[in-house]
Amino acid sequence: MKKSRTYIDKMHLWGSVWSVTALCALFMVPVVFSLYYNAFPQLNILLKAVVKIIPIYWGTAIIEVITYTPMLGAGGTYLSFVTGNITNLKLPCALSALDRSGYRAQSEEGEVISTIAIASSAITTTVIIAVGVLAFGPSITKITAPGSLLAPAFEYVIPALFGALGASYFTKHWKISIFPILAGVLVYIFVPSLAVGTMIFVTIVASVGGAFVMWKLKLIK
Amino acid sequence: MFKNSAIMYGLAIFIVLFVTAQSLFFMIKAWKRGKELGIDSAKMKQTAISSALFSIAPAISILATVLVLASALGFVLPWIRLSVIGNLAYETVAAEAALEAMGTSISNTNLTETEFSTVAWAMTIGSCFPLVLLPILCKKIHKAFNKVIGGAEENGEKKKNSKNALGDILGAAAFIGIMAAFISRSIMGVQKDGASAGFMTVAVLLSAMIFTVALDLLCKKKNLTKLEPFVLPIAMFGAMGIAVLLMQVLPGELTGFVWRYYNENGDIVWRGR
Repeated sequence: MKKSRTYIDKMHLWGSVWSVTALCALFMVPVVFSLYYNAFPQLNILLKAVVKIIPIYWGTAIIEVITYTPMLGAGGTYLSFVTGNITNLKLPCALSALDRSGYRAQSEEGEVISTIAIASSAITTTVIIAVGVLAFGPSITKITAPGSLLAPAFEYVIPALFGALGASYFTKHWKISIFPILAGVLVYIFVPSLAVGTMIFVTIVASVGGAFVMWKLKLIK
Repeated sequence: MFKNSAIMYGLAIFIVLFVTAQSLFFMIKAWKRGKELGIDSAKMKQTAISSALFSIAPAISILATVLVLASALGFVLPWIRLSVIGNLAYETVAAEAALEAMGTSISNTNLTETEFSTVAWAMTIGSCFPLVLLPILCKKIHKAFNKVIGGAEENGEKKKNSKNALGDILGAAAFIGIMAAFISRSIMGVQKDGASAGFMTVAVLLSAMIFTVALDLLCKKKNLTKLEPFVLPIAMFGAMGIAVLLMQVLPGELTGFVWRYYNENGDIVWRGR
């Protein structure tokens, strides 16, 4: 038991170090550009833009960190937040890997599996984007441009992804699944343009709340 | 052009190497620990391969976002931004907000160096916050979560080691919640840029579900354990294939059928009203 604690603790330590380093790397981009071209932004204009962005982004960041951290595991959390695209990529990857492995999310084996899944996904994504930009550049637009043969494949990538993922979960946990989907559809009927980021909070509350009540009532075990 | 200059490419390559190094670092740490814990190497390998396969299609959609932003910002900045913390939806919004503050827009292809640098700063400041929060909060959240779950289980029936402990149920429920948001959007949502709910979204959603269930059954019946990790990517590609096929085969009135849409005034209207 003692050893297992040290592994997770080490992950937290390394994760913090990597996060701070990533932060520096992130800011290096505008700093180096501004220095090189002697083109620092005017403070008041930047402020005007930032004031618009911060409430949404930083607010979302707080909620995302709180929501996803328990689901991604220690190593997976640090890695996911550095590489981004969590809801549409990292989280589905980690959870489906976990599901298929049969390990519990809170176990150390689960931690290992989700970290491997997220790392592999992060590397793949980074490489594809890099190769795509460097090798194909403008010609990629032809593949995904409206009207091209393959365009629909990418236009509907979200229903394809979540349909595939959802099916394996819903068949296993259909009692938990009905309520959040109904809640989501109902909310969309009345607020059709609601951003999916906001909808996630609605459906998570519906899902977790519903599951907890059912567990208390012993409808699910 | 400064947007796609050597210095920008240099920065991008540095970022790509950085992200890859970090991923490899965590992968190796986890792999070693997995071996210590006695997890089968084949299982870890399968996890890595199926995750990689699963990531291909979403990665290509992310790549497409890079290219949408490229007309105004060049290739390199969007590439950098979507490789670190980047999120498909956020980056476009951040860039738009910054450009708007300067009285221009995403369709402006002649940004000055200073305008460009303002966008880069705004995107960076907007997206950096999780990296500030994580070193402070991540460990605390994990501990608190485990405590809450542990406590609730102690109070309930002592099921700490049983397969269906409360922690697992709530974990699954939280994830189902996330999926439910995307799925309900595919059933009932309306999007300005992107596919609004209609015949195609539901058809693709259902095809992906049917593929998954069918493949899962096949794996179980024929005992194809090797195929299991690939069910998800195959089902996803299958459903994307169906999307292409339907677009080719069915009449445009059907494939273009959405329940609601934005009319020319930007209002959302139901079809047939």
